[in-house]
Amino acid sequence: MSAPGRDTSTGDQARGGGAAVVKSWVGEHRRGVTTLVVAILAVLLPFGVSQYWRATLVFIVVAAIGALGLDVLTGRTGQISLGHAAFLGAGAYTAGYLGGNHHLTAALWIPAAGVVAGLLGAIVGPTALRLRGLYLAIVTIGLVFIAQHVFVNVTAISGGPGGRSLPPPTFGSLDFANGTSIGSLQITRDELYYFLALLLLALGMLYVRNLQRTHLGRGMAAVRERELAAAVLGVHVARTKVTAFVISSAMAGVAGALYASYLGFVVPTQWDLTISIEYVVMIVVGGMASLWGPVLGAVFVIGLPALLQDVSGSLPFLSNGLGGGIISVTDTSTIVFGVLLVVFLLVEPRGVVGLGRRIWEIGMRWRGRRRTPVATAKVGEVSQ
Amino acid sequence: MKNFAQLLFAGVALGAIYALIALGFTVIYRASRVINFAQGELLVFGALLVSVLVSTAKFPFWLAFVIGALAAGLVGLLFQLGVLRFALGRPDFTIVMLTLGLASVLNAVLDTTYGDYPRANGDPWGSSAVHSAGLAFSWVKIWTIIAALVVLVGFFVFNRYSRYGLAMRSAAIDPEAALAVGIPLRRVYATAWVLAGIVACVGGVFLGGYPSSVQPAVGNIAFLAFPAIILGGIDSTTGAVVGGFVIGVVEELTAGYQPQYASWLGHNFYLVAPYVLMILVLLVRPYGLFGSRPAERL
Amino acid sequence: MSDEPALRVVDLGLRFGALAALSDVSFEVGEGELFAVIGPNGAGKTSLFNVLSRVYDATSGRITYRGRDMAALRPHHLAGAGIARTFQNLGLFKAMTVLENVLVGREHLMGAGTVRAGLFLRSARREEYSNRAAAMQALEFVGLLDSARLPVGMLPYGVQKRVEFARALAMEPSLLLLDEPVAGMSRGERAEITDLVRSIHRERKMTMVLVEHDMGVVMSLAQRVLALDFGRTIALGTPDEIQRNEAVIRAYLGEGHEVRA
Repeated sequence: MSAPGRDTSTGDQARGGGAAVVKSWVGEHRRGVTTLVVAILAVLLPFGVSQYWRATLVFIVVAAIGALGLDVLTGRTGQISLGHAAFLGAGAYTAGYLGGNHHLTAALWIPAAGVVAGLLGAIVGPTALRLRGLYLAIVTIGLVFIAQHVFVNVTAISGGPGGRSLPPPTFGSLDFANGTSIGSLQITRDELYYFLALLLLALGMLYVRNLQRTHLGRGMAAVRERELAAAVLGVHVARTKVTAFVISSAMAGVAGALYASYLGFVVPTQWDLTISIEYVVMIVVGGMASLWGPVLGAVFVIGLPALLQDVSGSLPFLSNGLGGGIISVTDTSTIVFGVLLVVFLLVEPRGVVGLGRRIWEIGMRWRGRRRTPVATAKVGEVSQ
Repeated sequence: MKNFAQLLFAGVALGAIYALIALGFTVIYRASRVINFAQGELLVFGALLVSVLVSTAKFPFWLAFVIGALAAGLVGLLFQLGVLRFALGRPDFTIVMLTLGLASVLNAVLDTTYGDYPRANGDPWGSSAVHSAGLAFSWVKIWTIIAALVVLVGFFVFNRYSRYGLAMRSAAIDPEAALAVGIPLRRVYATAWVLAGIVACVGGVFLGGYPSSVQPAVGNIAFLAFPAIILGGIDSTTGAVVGGFVIGVVEELTAGYQPQYASWLGHNFYLVAPYVLMILVLLVRPYGLFGSRPAERL
Repeated sequence: MSDEPALRVVDLGLRFGALAALSDVSFEVGEGELFAVIGPNGAGKTSLFNVLSRVYDATSGRITYRGRDMAALRPHHLAGAGIARTFQNLGLFKAMTVLENVLVGREHLMGAGTVRAGLFLRSARREEYSNRAAAMQALEFVGLLDSARLPVGMLPYGVQKRVEFARALAMEPSLLLLDEPVAGMSRGERAEITDLVRSIHRERKMTMVLVEHDMGVVMSLAQRVLALDFGRTIALGTPDEIQRNEAVIRAYLGEGHEVRA
């Protein structure tokens, strides 16, 4: 920087001191600063895009909540579950019943959706104690079918095969349907949903991060990797698994409630295996057992079809339901998801986040710095 | 009681299809410890191909049938060679999601290629039936049972008495040891997948017989066959077949009697009855009725 | 050593169908004693170890630890009962760092539930920090304090074994079961681990039962030795006695060998 032997300390301070101090502080708190920047961008985002994309953003954030939950169960605790759709539906119908039939405030039906779905998770959870891998997968598939059956038949809550409508959230005098305003800034229904979902997602991520740094998170990772060894070491395997189910299904319940409320209308047959598989794609492609993986996965799984739909006019082979085109947006997305699922599972089980870390490490090594490597062992492999 | 016999006959015919589907699952599982969640899509693929060959290309049914079966076998082979081969020894989650991923892709491809509307399966029997004792036994269902029995017996003979059958059984028990004695594992797995594809096609074609039809959504029936293999035990061929017939009969009887006697269980309960049964069984016997517990290394 | 034996094994039998892996095995281990079980391959050492660590249920006989019948203990009760074990093929969690692995050993001492942990309330934080300190102490004992943040998967086998010991120590057990701790090690690693076992025994004064194949290690560590062959006891005594015991020598070297005094 400066020639040796010359005292330039005061010179440095005076010249670029302020910037240097800020730069070093940012360097130390890199993660916090990145999160802050991302948060600011996230809050500003809806104001700069069309209504179509505002709606997509809502779906993305809501899905991210659900994906975060699934990651706790499958990514962190290693329990295969294809039953996520059932918990999403349970949350949705709780919201519909309490908010729609009984006109309760969202401050009640949102948590209630989580509680009800969590209870369902507590009932299903113990099956994971007896069943492993394949059998657990098949039972969770059965859960989806049985849940659909129950949803169709409990017509008072679900509206039967014809479906039911759901109300937008109300918090006291704030009704999402009407939007609101802060000063001269108009905040539409879409944006209100978006911010609410964003807030809940942030809370969820904080919660999961705390789990990660305490013994619960370690216990989950231990159960995922080697259940018997974990038990012998004193990890309460049964409690860990059931807890994972409860947390996962509670988050799914909240996500389902918000999703259904935003859609405004749901039918019992929509809570099907395809949705469960989509959520698995989110966590696999995004990156399991990571905080941002599920979020990135949600961005991709929800964003891709939305993007394809948006550009389907200019891509002649895409049919957007209005005629023309060879392949539908849905089918295209499904094929992409399926292929990526296969590719990521075989090549990079830690998803995009894992890819990102690999690139980072290669970059670091390339620049010649010796860094303490982060845990790069097979984090992504779910061993149950 | 007249009702009962009719339902039983339908149940056996449906059970025959489930037995074929279950057999398809078990063949692959016994060879390579993979549960092929894409089995239903192979079924649809075979049936759709047969349907199109008969209706559009005017092939005779039996020829279309053979071509369809071989084509389904080929697709299965491609799955194994192209994807599953690289997943040896991976954890259960990976295997499950791989075949589910393949199922999704195949479903979307079929949907795009053929469109989601019902087609005739191309069989020559249509709605014809044998009438006796006041009951109607449709020819499609009769042939379903015959075909299934032929396939099952054929498979049993192959498994027991042929070299490949023996190779497949040893590969299932201990792949490393099988390799050590020179069994060509890759060929064994490939054979399993081809057989599964053929079996799936047979099931699919007959599934699409009167009064049903063939369309991509039909693939979901494979999910209804899971209870069959769970009940019978995933690694037991006999169990899978027995399970298949049991589930078929349970389903038809439930469909016939439940609305009358247990309507509180809901509309169309027969669709989930096999799963409820399966879950109840699994709670008591976590590896199915005849399945065995895999050894757990410490 | 106090009067009451810590571990008492009476007429232990383990059958797999017609095969008797263990028959009529009886021995006692005193509080704070370092006890070894030896025998050639197939002698039943691993079976005995697995029964002790509750992987298998004995088909006959009784095991009591500090007066408590161990048949009632399931594997996940061991930690709470003060019993820790090491694994032959390392029960380490490759996806975690050294410190995290050791912290898993503190699991049975940590109670913060989903609410307290999830919100990282002060009680959860205090628990986390105090247990981290304990884990670091264990790491210090085995000399791995500097490696705390390294991922376990990339460490050499000998170092991984130390991590396993640290984890076992962090569990604060009163009985430590060691499953062939020096299996597959080089001479140097073997000496290091032997020293480690000795210092654990000396400083923590805990009861230790060591199943081992390597005679040299056993002789230098154990206070008393049980020799097994074909699932039966062939000798029980001090290392010296065992070394000179005819039956033991025959079992290891086969019939027709000269017995050297």
